[in-house]
Amino acid sequence: MGRVLAARLARLVATLFAVTLLSFLLTSLLPGDPAVAVLGQDNIQNPELLAEVREELGLNDPIPVRYVKWLGDAVRFDLGESYINRGQEVSDTIKQRLPVTAQLAVMAIGIALVLAVPLGVIGAYKEGKWQDSTTSAAAQVALSVPNFITGIFLIWLFAVKLDLLPASNWNRISDKGLSANLKTAILPATALATTQMAIFSRLVRADMIATLKENYILSARAKGLGDRYILMRHALRPSSLSLMTIVGINFGALLGGTVVIETLFAVPGLGFRLINAINQRDILVIQGITVFVAVVYVVINTVVDLLYAVVDPRIRRG
Amino acid sequence: MKLRSLYKLLALLLVFGMFAAACGSDDDDGSDSTVVDDTTDDTTDDTTEDDGVADAGDVAEDAETTEVVEDESTRNFGGEIAVGLEAETTGMRPWEETCSSPCYNMWDAMYDRLMEPTADGNVGGNVYESISSNEDFTVWVAVLRDGITFHNGKVLDAQNIADMFPVQQAGAAGAGHVSASNLIDVQATGALEVTYTLSQSNSAFPSFLTRAPIGMVFDAELAAADPDGYNENPVGTGAFQFESRDIDNETVFVKYDGYWRMDAEGNQLPYLDKVSFRPIPDEGTRLDATLSGTTQAAQTLRQGTIRDARAERDDGADIFLFEFQGSNTGGGMYNVLVPPFDDVRVRRGLTMMNSQDNVIEALGGTGISLPATQWFSPDSPWYSETVAAAWPQFDFDAGKASLQEYVDDPERSDGKAAGEPIDAELSCPPDPTLIAAMQVIEQTWTASGLVNVNLTNFDQQTHIGYALGSPDDGFVGSHGAHCWRWSDDDDPSTNLNSEFAPPTAAVAEAAGIPDIVSPINFSNYFSGTIFQALVAATQTDVFDERYALYEGVMLELADQVPIWYSGHTATAIIVDPAIQGLASWVLPDGTLGAGLPNAEGRWANAWLAS
Repeated sequence: MGRVLAARLARLVATLFAVTLLSFLLTSLLPGDPAVAVLGQDNIQNPELLAEVREELGLNDPIPVRYVKWLGDAVRFDLGESYINRGQEVSDTIKQRLPVTAQLAVMAIGIALVLAVPLGVIGAYKEGKWQDSTTSAAAQVALSVPNFITGIFLIWLFAVKLDLLPASNWNRISDKGLSANLKTAILPATALATTQMAIFSRLVRADMIATLKENYILSARAKGLGDRYILMRHALRPSSLSLMTIVGINFGALLGGTVVIETLFAVPGLGFRLINAINQRDILVIQGITVFVAVVYVVINTVVDLLYAVVDPRIRRG
Repeated sequence: MKLRSLYKLLALLLVFGMFAAACGSDDDDGSDSTVVDDTTDDTTDDTTEDDGVADAGDVAEDAETTEVVEDESTRNFGGEIAVGLEAETTGMRPWEETCSSPCYNMWDAMYDRLMEPTADGNVGGNVYESISSNEDFTVWVAVLRDGITFHNGKVLDAQNIADMFPVQQAGAAGAGHVSASNLIDVQATGALEVTYTLSQSNSAFPSFLTRAPIGMVFDAELAAADPDGYNENPVGTGAFQFESRDIDNETVFVKYDGYWRMDAEGNQLPYLDKVSFRPIPDEGTRLDATLSGTTQAAQTLRQGTIRDARAERDDGADIFLFEFQGSNTGGGMYNVLVPPFDDVRVRRGLTMMNSQDNVIEALGGTGISLPATQWFSPDSPWYSETVAAAWPQFDFDAGKASLQEYVDDPERSDGKAAGEPIDAELSCPPDPTLIAAMQVIEQTWTASGLVNVNLTNFDQQTHIGYALGSPDDGFVGSHGAHCWRWSDDDDPSTNLNSEFAPPTAAVAEAAGIPDIVSPINFSNYFSGTIFQALVAATQTDVFDERYALYEGVMLELADQVPIWYSGHTATAIIVDPAIQGLASWVLPDGTLGAGLPNAEGRWANAWLAS
């Protein structure tokens, strides 16, 4: 187990090094000048002032020097300060935004699982019948529709037409309570969940179909155990290994992949901040959020790998 | 059977979950915050006319407008509103952050402007009671109103204005404006008297006092002591004081009880108890938020959104549009230092082949935006019919003939053989409507058979970066034909002077003015005649003289076409009709204000009808 952990750790460090280097290079090579973004179009008449700001931001140093400086600070958990929102530490930005994005991701995964597992089980249990065709078709539709389209539809239906939920923005639990928070969270979370639900249900169905053909399932049936008992107690658990992997991967991906939905719903999470930072050439914020998401992603995958052993005794014993 | 039951149960749970969230306890979630104080007079006459649009709104001729309720006798006090903005402001410090339309909505709530633009295109006193200059407009003396206090209780005096100057000089946003206005010194020459000294004549200097970074009042002592901290706890003298800020989500201001302004009936402003601003970048969501009551108002600079809002209104949605047709215009520029755009036959030819009507249609602005022929909209006092007549209108054949002349010229500047099509890079940020507009231009240029168009899209910062260039290329930029926005509703000198000054050191040297270089002359077009006219226009305050000078500038631009126009920008604030008084704001002396240019709402003047 120790060797596995050490290997995972080494992979984590290598991945993070590659991610930081690549994202630093890419953001640094973008043609827009962060100094221009800081000064604004109306305030750049003075080349000396532009040069001053560039110097102040350290933009005159060669890229490798800037990268090494940044990396040196980052390993001490100092991700620098926003170029645009002066005085705002990148690490503080992440701390403020992470709970929002994490809540959305957890809710999206939760909603997706609640829908996907029964749909997948039904599809497998009724393989080839109309129930299977219907759930498969529904999953196909959910997979084909981009989540921002789903989001627009949800806003139209629940906010504009039914007047049940707010169309945008975010109520923090700390300020306005859980109920108000859920009102603003449910639509973006549902929009994010639809694609996840489709992926999960197809995965559960496929794995379940294979499991239901195993000898021990036949044996259980021969013993006269009920269908529901067999499905839930004997078939679902071994069929959930792939699901667990994909849930882990997708949770990590959601942390960095909520850009569109957060922008659509004006939710102040990591994705919304990231897209603003990209538009403003706020390089340190882009870098900080990218690296943070990469760390979370790799850590989650490592945890998922380790959880295999817990779920499947064969892996543990092997 | 059991599985079917399970499925039903889960479906039921999901629906229940959605509705439980929707119908949860009525915590103050800000989503339905149109609240009118029960104790106020809330009678409203639903038949009176909107003076917002009628007085200050400058809408396209064929634009439809809605009559709105606005009865002077029923100004209610109390209540709160939420306003959706297209973007978050980067900060709350007037000297540091660049401020545009969404930012002004917020800053105007808590900061006062020293001077204010009026409906007739002039500038009038606000925090300053008066301002006057010496004969050559190099020294300006302003007098503050007595009795104005900051939100922290401190009294505003001339020394505070003088102390703002070093902060502005050091600020990222302030430094450029200090330089552009020629301001070199600010002194308190009395308890309420402030003296500004300029390095050169500037008859339009008061217009710099109508906007941030020089024209907004902040607590200079606090700003100097802790500039970063000011972002967390900004202090102004405005109608609302800062309460809280959740960046990218909501910034809340509450009524300042010590505000100095009164309305025409002697009631202390503001009317509302609270106003909050929520950045909602998606245009559709921002409109939906107002349609659903999540917010009570939405600001937009997009013609497509105005079109959609009008359609919703016409379908019976309970909204009202405060529209404004500003001088700001879309269009583009040619980099005149780069072949083939260095030849006026090419610029003129391409411009004449460009159908403004088709471009405006692609932008979603038909019936909303007026085609532009100059920097000034027909409602601007600077607008010239002579210039409008001189502008090279759409004439595909004439444009093609002009371009053909260049193409057939054996001495053509791009070095290609006679008869070969020119290469034209046409670039714009990747906004869907902008891309559609550029595709219209691409198609017409390509249809001539004389142009190989390379259509490119870069994000806003990259787009600006290409046009700006860098010290390495002498700020020439690497752009070809670039979509761009021109002009605003400030005094013409505030942007024309820098946008047509020598673009590079070499040009400045050749013109005999080596100290004047402006990287933001994006088209790189320089003409001694234009430069002299622009300087002369800052040395007189006689309107007719200035008008003639600017008309001359516009005529030369129409002749040399370094830039082109699509349509003047229609902007709007879309509101719940309960919001009244927004556009009819006046200066302290009763002069009608400039309305809502650039969808900048003056929320201190708004009240809620019942």
